[in-house]
Amino acid sequence: MEQYIKPFVSVCEIVFRDFCQTEVTAGRVFFVSKDEYESNWDISGIIGLSGEASGAVAISLKSATAFKITNILTGSEHNHIDMYVTDAIGEIINIIAGNVKKHFEDELRIKISLPSIIKGKAHSIVWPSEKTRIICIPFTIFGDQEFCLSIAVDPTK
Amino acid sequence: MKTILVVDDSTIMRKIVKNTFETLKIPCQYLEAENGRKAYQLLETNKVSLVFLDWNMPEMDGMEFLKKVRAMPDYKDLPIVMVTSEAAKYNVIEALKHGVTSYIVKPVREKIFKEKLSEISF
Repeated sequence: MEQYIKPFVSVCEIVFRDFCQTEVTAGRVFFVSKDEYESNWDISGIIGLSGEASGAVAISLKSATAFKITNILTGSEHNHIDMYVTDAIGEIINIIAGNVKKHFEDELRIKISLPSIIKGKAHSIVWPSEKTRIICIPFTIFGDQEFCLSIAVDPTK
Repeated sequence: MKTILVVDDSTIMRKIVKNTFETLKIPCQYLEAENGRKAYQLLETNKVSLVFLDWNMPEMDGMEFLKKVRAMPDYKDLPIVMVTSEAAKYNVIEALKHGVTSYIVKPVREKIFKEKLSEISF
C-alpha cells in the first residue's frame, strides 16, 4: 500500500499548483479500515479504478474550501454547492487519478471511471473493495484549510 | 475566422481551453459539446477547423468519437487534439493509433498548449 502514497502526494501537489494556482502541503498519512472510515466533509469527488487494479480514489473537502477552489477556476463567486462546484471537484479528482496512472504504467494498466460527487454534511463513502485498507492523505490548502485524498487500491493482476 | 470545437463534459475545462486561446490572442469562434455524440452532431452541421477533445465523457467518449470521425473520409485530415487527464503512455499510444493529431495531458499549461498548436501549424 505504501508504494501508492508518494505518487499520489506528488501528483496532487502538481495538479493544485498548475490547475488551481495553489500550493498544497501533505500531512501525516494514516490508514483506516473500510468500516472505520469516517467522513467529516461536505463534498467528495470519487473515481473508480478497474482493469489491473480495482478500488477508488476520493477527494473530500469542506464546502468553504470547495467554493474557494471553484472561485479560482471560474473567476466568479460561488457560495453554495452548485454545478460549477461539483464540476470543479469532479475535474480535480479526474486529473489526479489520470495523472497517477502514469506512475504505474509499467506494472498496471488501470482504467478510471467518470467522477461521481457525493455531497452533504458528514456524508459517508461506501468503498468498493472488501479487503483493502484505505490510505488517507490529509493536505493543507490556503494556509489553514484542509482536504483529504483517500485511496483504496487492490491490484487484480 | 476559424471555428474550434471544444468537447469536454466539464464546463470549467471548456472555459479554460477558450480562455487559453484568448490569452494567446488567436482569433477564432467556438462550438462546445459535453460529449462525443453532441460533438459529432455539431461536426455534421458546421465547418470546423480544429477539435479539442476530452477522453472520459458520458454517452460517447473521446476515443469512440475519434474512431467515428476518422472513419469518415471528409474528416480524415481534421486536426484533433486530445486534452485529457489520461497520462499513461499506453493511453497516448492508443490515441495516436486511432488518428489523434496531438495529445495534451491535463492540467493544461499555456506553454504546452502553444507548442502543440504550433506543431500542427494552427
